Amino acid sequence: MDFSVKKLTDLVAFNRRNFIKLLIGGAVGINATPLPWKLMDDVAIWTQNWPWVPVPARGAFNHSETICTLCPGGCGITVRKVDGRPVKIEGRADYPVNPGGICPLGSGGLQLLYTESLRFTGPMKRVGARGTGDFVAISWDEAMQTLADRLAELKRNGKSEALAAIDGNRPHSSMSLLIRKFMDAMGSSMYARMPSLEDTYATVNRLMFGIDAPMAYDLEHADLILSFGCGLIEGWGAPGRMSNAWSLWRSEPLKGKVKIIQVESRASNTASKADQWIAAKPGTEAALALGIAHVMLKDGLYDSNFVANHTFGFTDWTSPDGKSHRGFKNIALRDYSPDVVSKTTGVDAGQILSLARAFARARAPIALCGKGKGSLNGSVFECLAVQSLNALTGNINKPGGVLVHQDVPLQARYSAEAKGPGEPLTAAGLGEALTADKISVETLLLFAANPAHTLPDGGGFRKALKKIPLIISFSPFRDESSLMADLILPDHTYLEKMDDVVWPVGLQYPFYGLTQPVLKPLYDTRATGDVLIQLAEIMGGRVTESLPWKNYEELLKERALNLFEAEGGLTSHDSSRPAWEPSAYRKVLKSDCTSPEELWKKLKAGGFWYRPFQRFGWHEELFKTASGKFEFCTDKLEKAGADLAKTLENDRDYPVVMAPYELINLASSWAPSPPYLYKTLFDSQIRGKDCFAEINPQTAGEYKLKQGDYVIIESSAGKVKALVNIFAGAMPGVVYLAFGFGHTGYSDFHLNKGVNPNSIVAGPRDFLTGMSAWWRTPVRLSKTKA
Amino acid sequence: MENQAHSSQKPLKKGWFISLIDVVLSYYSYLISQPFRSGLVYFLAGLIPSLALGWLIFPALLYSKQPQPLQFNHAIHTHPQIGIEGKTEEERCLQCHGFREDGTFTGIPNLATCMKCHDDPESTLGETPEEEKFNEEYVALGKEVPWLLYHRQPDCVYFSHIAHVKMGKQECRTCHGDHGRSEKLPLHQRNRISTYSRNIWGYNIAGYVRNPWERMKMDNCADCHTKTGHEENNACFVCHK
Repeated sequence: MDFSVKKLTDLVAFNRRNFIKLLIGGAVGINATPLPWKLMDDVAIWTQNWPWVPVPARGAFNHSETICTLCPGGCGITVRKVDGRPVKIEGRADYPVNPGGICPLGSGGLQLLYTESLRFTGPMKRVGARGTGDFVAISWDEAMQTLADRLAELKRNGKSEALAAIDGNRPHSSMSLLIRKFMDAMGSSMYARMPSLEDTYATVNRLMFGIDAPMAYDLEHADLILSFGCGLIEGWGAPGRMSNAWSLWRSEPLKGKVKIIQVESRASNTASKADQWIAAKPGTEAALALGIAHVMLKDGLYDSNFVANHTFGFTDWTSPDGKSHRGFKNIALRDYSPDVVSKTTGVDAGQILSLARAFARARAPIALCGKGKGSLNGSVFECLAVQSLNALTGNINKPGGVLVHQDVPLQARYSAEAKGPGEPLTAAGLGEALTADKISVETLLLFAANPAHTLPDGGGFRKALKKIPLIISFSPFRDESSLMADLILPDHTYLEKMDDVVWPVGLQYPFYGLTQPVLKPLYDTRATGDVLIQLAEIMGGRVTESLPWKNYEELLKERALNLFEAEGGLTSHDSSRPAWEPSAYRKVLKSDCTSPEELWKKLKAGGFWYRPFQRFGWHEELFKTASGKFEFCTDKLEKAGADLAKTLENDRDYPVVMAPYELINLASSWAPSPPYLYKTLFDSQIRGKDCFAEINPQTAGEYKLKQGDYVIIESSAGKVKALVNIFAGAMPGVVYLAFGFGHTGYSDFHLNKGVNPNSIVAGPRDFLTGMSAWWRTPVRLSKTKA
Repeated sequence: MENQAHSSQKPLKKGWFISLIDVVLSYYSYLISQPFRSGLVYFLAGLIPSLALGWLIFPALLYSKQPQPLQFNHAIHTHPQIGIEGKTEEERCLQCHGFREDGTFTGIPNLATCMKCHDDPESTLGETPEEEKFNEEYVALGKEVPWLLYHRQPDCVYFSHIAHVKMGKQECRTCHGDHGRSEKLPLHQRNRISTYSRNIWGYNIAGYVRNPWERMKMDNCADCHTKTGHEENNACFVCHK
C-alpha cells in the first residue's frame, strides 16, 4: 500500500483548528462534571483548616472557681474548662470582692500557665553563665538534697546569718508566715520583703491606729474621693472591685453625687476620668495634703469633737522626758499655708482653698494614699499626711470612711509577729548592705520575687546578686532574678496550687479565701509550701519542730479553722445583693457554718470567708496606740516636712524629674505579663524595640525634641534610651516612663521591649523609711539618634 | 446563459426554520462523513476523557480511605433483647451518644462509657477478635479509641444536637439513617484537600441527595429548616456564631 506521511496528515487533519477543538472538547467536558465546583469548595475549606490555625478543644465543659493571685487584689475567678483543659478565665459574680469583673492581667492568666518558654518545667541547675538561662534538668531528690546539704553546712559552720531570703508573698499570707518561720528556725534574721504599698499601709496603720490590720476603705459609701495618686481604675486595690465601684459612682442613683478628685502629676486614665485633676509635682503630695489641712483648720472646717476626744498630738504636747513637741495644728498652720504649699506643689493657692472646702463639706469624704497600682512602696510621709485629713473630718470607722478592723482572725499561735512589731528588712536594704559589704550572704532564697527587675534601686540589686555564691529560686517563671540563680525548685503557677488570700488590698471588710488547683500541674513542679516543709523534715532538729505540719495544706487548714471560732462571718454571697449593701452592714450576722469541718469543706470548694459588717463609731476602744487614740505622728511629719524642702532643690546636673508610672495592661510586679497584653499597647507606648517616654510639649521644646525622636534619660544611676511621646498630660519638667518594659528574662515575647525605669531610679530616699523614693528621680535629657 | 439560468431558477423560498435545519444537517453530515477533517474526533477526544476525569477519576483520587480502628457492631448493641436497655430505639442510642447535664452532646462515647457496661462480668468482652483487640490495645492501657467521625461538622459550624433531638423532637435515624442498625462500620473517607469526612459532601460527587444522612452541607440544613417551617433558623448567626 502506498503510504506516506503526507497522506496520513491529510487524513487525520491535525491542524491548529482541530487542536483548538480538542481543547474546547476538554473544557466543555470538565465543566459538565462536578470537578471545578467541588474543587473550588474544597480549596476554600482548605484555607480555613491550616494546621497552625488554633482550634478550640472538644469535650465536656466545666468550671472551676478560684481566686486570682497575680496581684494583691484577690479577685474571684471562674476558669472555664473543656475536657479538663482550662480555656478561659472570667470574673466570678458570686464573689464578695469583684462582682464579675476582672482586669486584663487576670484574664490573660492562662498564658502564664501554658507558655512553656516562660516557665521552669522542673527542678534545674545552672550550667551556663549567670543570666544566660542555661539550665539542665535534675531530679527533685537531687535538688532537695543539694539545698538541704547547703543549709546544714551553713548551720554547722555557725553561718546562719549568711542565709538570706527575699519574700514577695503578701504580708499575713501563710506562705509568708511559713518562710519567716523557716528562716527563724534556721537562726537567720535575714528575712527581707519586697516593697509593696500594702507594707506602707500596714506601717501607717501601726503608727496611727496602733493596729496590725490592712487598710480598709469603704469607698462604695463615700461621696467624695480624694485620691493622692492611686490608679483607681488602673489596677489599684482589687481591680474587679474598683471597676465595679467606679461604675457605681457613675450610674444612677449615685450619678453626679460622688465627686472623684485625682491628685497626680500625669494625666493618667484615672485622672482624665475623674471630676477634677490636681497636678501636684511628684513627691509633693504630702505637702498638698497638709496644705488642705491648713485651710480646714484655719476655717474651722473639721470635726472638733473627734479631734478633741479621739486623737493625740493635735495640739502641742510635752513628752514624759520634758521635751516639748509641736502639735499637728501648729505644724499645719505654721508651715503649710496655701502660698507656701502652692510654691512646693505647683498647685494654685486658690485651688487648694476650694479643694479643702469641698473636702471638708462633703458628707463622707475619704482621702486615699498610694501610687498607681501599688506594686511598690508608697511614701509614708504622704500616707501619714493623707490619713490625717481623714482624722480631721472624723471619717474614721464610719460608713464611707476609713474602717478600722482587727486582722483576719486566723490561728493566732502561728502569727508572723513572733519577733514583735517592727519593720522587716526590705529587699532593697538587703541589696545595699550587700553592696556596701556590711553583710555577707552565702545563700539566697528567692520566693515569688524578682528583685533584679522590680526593685526601684537603679539596678543595685542586680549587681549585688553577683556577690552571692549560691542563689536558689522557687519561681515557676524564668524571671530575671531566677536566671541569676544556681538552683531552681519551681513552684506551681497560681492556677495549679492551693494557697490563701488574706484580705484583698483596700477591701472594707476582713476576707479570707482559698485558691484551688484548677488542673493537675502541667510540669514537674512542686508547691513551695510543701517543699519547705519537706526540707525542714530533712534538716531535722529545731527546724523540723518549728514546721510541724505534714504538708502545706495542713498549715492552711490549721490557720483557717480559727475563722470558725471568730464571731460571725459568712462563707457564701448572694450576688443579687451587693456585699457592701448598708443593710448587710448593720446586722450582726452569725456564722453560716455549723462546724469547723464544714467551713474547711466550703473553703476548699473555691470558697471564702468574710465578715461584711462593722461596728461603726466605737472610737473609745478602737485605737490600740500608746495613747489609746488616733495619733497624728507629728514628730515624723515635722521631720519629713523639713527634708522635703531639701529634696526639691533644683539639681544643676539633673534638672528634669523622671517619674515612672504603672499600666493596667502590663504586669509590673513579680508575675510576668501574659504575652497578649503587649498587643494591647498603643503605638505611642511601644514601637519596635523601643518604648516611649512621655514629655510635655513645653519641655520637649526646650530640648528641641519632636514626636518619635530618641532621647537619652540619664540619672546618677545610669541611662536609658526611649522614644519621645509629646503628651500634654505630662507635667512640664517631668519625663514619664512606664513600668513593665525592659525585661531581660521570661520569654521571647518579653525580650527587647523598651527599658525598665527601675534601672535608673536614684536620688533622695523616703525620709521616714529610707526606702526608695522611686516616684522622683532627678535626670537629664539629651537628644540622640537611633 | 448563465444570467438566464440564474433568473429562471430562482432559489426556492424557504422558511428560516427549514434553513436552520438545512444548515445543521449539512454540517452534521460533514462532521460524520469527514470525522477527522471536521474535527469531531478531536472534540470528542477532549470531551470524553475530561468527563471521565471529572466523574470517575477525580472522586476516586479526592478521598483517602481509612478503616476504623475497631469494627464496632451497632446492631448487637441496639438490639432490644441483647443490647443496651431502653424502651425505644432512640433511648438506646442516647445511652451511649447522650447529653451531658449542661445539654451539650457527648458525640462518640469514650472508654469510660463503654466500661460502664463492660465492667459487669455478665457483659464481658473478648469473644471476637475485634473485642480482644479492644481489650488489649485500649481497655488494658486505658487509652481512648481514636474513632473516625463520619458526621462531624466543621469548627465554623455551631450544631446543637439537643436543639434537634429534644426541642425539635427529631429521631436519630432522621439524620443518621440506619447507622444504628449496621453490623459493620463503613470505611471512613477523608477529603485530601479539605480534610473533611466524605459524608459531609456526600458519596455522590454531584451532590445529589435522596436522604439526609447522605449529605450534610449548609444547603441541606437550610432545605430541611425550610421544609419543616423553621426558616428563621436559616439566618447566618444561628449556626455561624
